[in-house]
Amino acid sequence: MKVLTANSLTTGEVVFWSRGRWALDFSDGERFADDAVADAALAAAESQPRVVVAPYLIDVEEAAGHWIPVSYRERIRALGPTNTPQHGKQADGHADVQALAAATSAARSSGRVKLIKR
Amino acid sequence: MYRYDAYDKAMLTDRSNEFRHQVARRLAGEITEDQFKPLRLMNGLYLQLHAYMLRVAIPYGTLSTRQLRRLAWVAKTYDKGYGHFTTRTNLQLHWIKLRDAPDVMDALAEVDLHAIQTSGNCIRNVTADPYAGATADEVDDPRVWAEVIRQWSTFHPEFSYLPRKFKIAVTASAKDRTAARSYDIGLQLRRGRDGALGFEVMVGGGQGRSPFLAKTVRESLPAGWLLSYLEAIIRVYNRHGRRDNIHKARIKILVNSLGVEEFTRQVEAEWAKIDSATSDLPDTELARIRGAFHPNTFQTLPPVSHAFEAALADPDFARFARRNVHPHKIPGYAIVDVSLKAPGQTPGDCSSEQMEAIADLADQYSFGEVRVNYTQNLVLPHVKLDDLPALHAALKAVDLASANIDLITDIIACPGLDYCSLANARAIPVAQAIAQRFADPERAEAIGELKVKISGCINACGHHHLGNIGILGVDKKGEEFYQISLGGSGDNDATLAEILGPAVHFSKVPDAVETLVDTYLSQRQGGERFLDTLRRTGLTPFKEALYADAD
Repeated sequence: MKVLTANSLTTGEVVFWSRGRWALDFSDGERFADDAVADAALAAAESQPRVVVAPYLIDVEEAAGHWIPVSYRERIRALGPTNTPQHGKQADGHADVQALAAATSAARSSGRVKLIKR
Repeated sequence: MYRYDAYDKAMLTDRSNEFRHQVARRLAGEITEDQFKPLRLMNGLYLQLHAYMLRVAIPYGTLSTRQLRRLAWVAKTYDKGYGHFTTRTNLQLHWIKLRDAPDVMDALAEVDLHAIQTSGNCIRNVTADPYAGATADEVDDPRVWAEVIRQWSTFHPEFSYLPRKFKIAVTASAKDRTAARSYDIGLQLRRGRDGALGFEVMVGGGQGRSPFLAKTVRESLPAGWLLSYLEAIIRVYNRHGRRDNIHKARIKILVNSLGVEEFTRQVEAEWAKIDSATSDLPDTELARIRGAFHPNTFQTLPPVSHAFEAALADPDFARFARRNVHPHKIPGYAIVDVSLKAPGQTPGDCSSEQMEAIADLADQYSFGEVRVNYTQNLVLPHVKLDDLPALHAALKAVDLASANIDLITDIIACPGLDYCSLANARAIPVAQAIAQRFADPERAEAIGELKVKISGCINACGHHHLGNIGILGVDKKGEEFYQISLGGSGDNDATLAEILGPAVHFSKVPDAVETLVDTYLSQRQGGERFLDTLRRTGLTPFKEALYADAD
């Protein structure tokens, strides 16, 4: 499964693709089982350079009934910095946030698909 | 301190206006992200994990209280009410919105602050001794020379596109408080037997993937020739530094591939071609800049303060006096370190309220001057001994009275994977866990000087190569592991730390540090510091203790 993410151009905030729109919460992000559909969404996102910066696909997996990013880096993006729980998306503390924060499975660093090291 | 003149102010205003137009063009879709990115980076604006990050330059770590209050206001108005002081004595704001960035730049420019040359392959913000103008052991005020370099290097047309970034540190004290040997160029000012000022010029230091300590290319360069000599060094680098490989592009690689003798020969040959009359600073201009750093009007005070001596009966104050208070050149005054390392807090973070409190205290007690130390702490450079008890109480009220300078809880840590898009692992939570483990101030003081430095990736913003205990976060199959090195120092006895053995898991780092501390205490002789014991025993007992269970 994949999810499409980017940063908002005007605010820099982490956003997730959701059926043609951008959602602020990871749990609202659309999940793609089909790589071709995911790639089409990525192409659509890349055609919105005035909305987002550097869109890319990430791998996600199911854990205890919740979907979480495979990569630890992406979990931090979806939550906010771990040293300040009052900052970032984690601040609202809802169930998906708790599931993300509690995820302990080994997080692959390759969770960012087609990662280009810059 | 130096006040920007009409030229400086015009430059900042122009730059700010230019940036506003660049942002507007990006938002309107008139330029692409690929075109815009280098422009925003030239203005210190990075896109990190959660938001844009603005790196504000604090030239040679010197802030007026007006500037500090403005930083507090910017952090409160456009960010989340705090800023992060870095190992380059800059301030990073981690939650800036692109649409607000032009207003932030304007607000900064009004108080002579900016983010120029805080990114990009240019000469970056110059750092200097944070005790400049206050310590008795300096031969001159290094801020004068740092300001000379700032003016010379700002928008320098020849050196705006170097092979890689370029960092310069200046100290004029016998005791190096800038980690000068870890800089592209470290400058140590000394007075010769004839009374003349001369720079020891050290070139090619740096941390990161390939750490090197800078090598001396000139034992004593007459101070008046500083700019022409810098020009020669950077011209040789600009010509021969590798642009084909980002990992080999820093001057340290050039110095070490040529060898210091050949590098020096090329610099001297280049220098011989430069006309000092056009490249070096005229004496009148040096005098003008020097005049901006004229000494404060210190009072004539007795060297002993009864108020101070009486307050030592309070154990908290006595510890603060032992750890955070340092001798001043003027009798009756002291230099005070303000620790941004309360155990459990993020190293280097300072809330807007704390910034405002420090500004008030600096106005009240320290001639309105505040310094930033590369150790991610602040300094009030000129405090009367008589005022120390009141200052301590006021700092305590805003959680800034941690008496832990150079102790195990005074940890340097980069933002790491919690914020930085380059990081492989977190650094801040590791620092927090270690500091909490050793939070008992009596225990920390009994352990003595022990500098722990943590980086979340090989780029080494957390100076792990210079840590007595250096900790580097690595990504091992998607999990955070930490490589531990021992024996580094950024002081006069600069040394690069040596890797101890296999990396340990995130959850095991505080235990590992405790094992290393216990080993040191069991081996310690007399008043040895951790580093002294380690240098005497070598790595073996530490290695055996740490990896005993692994066999």
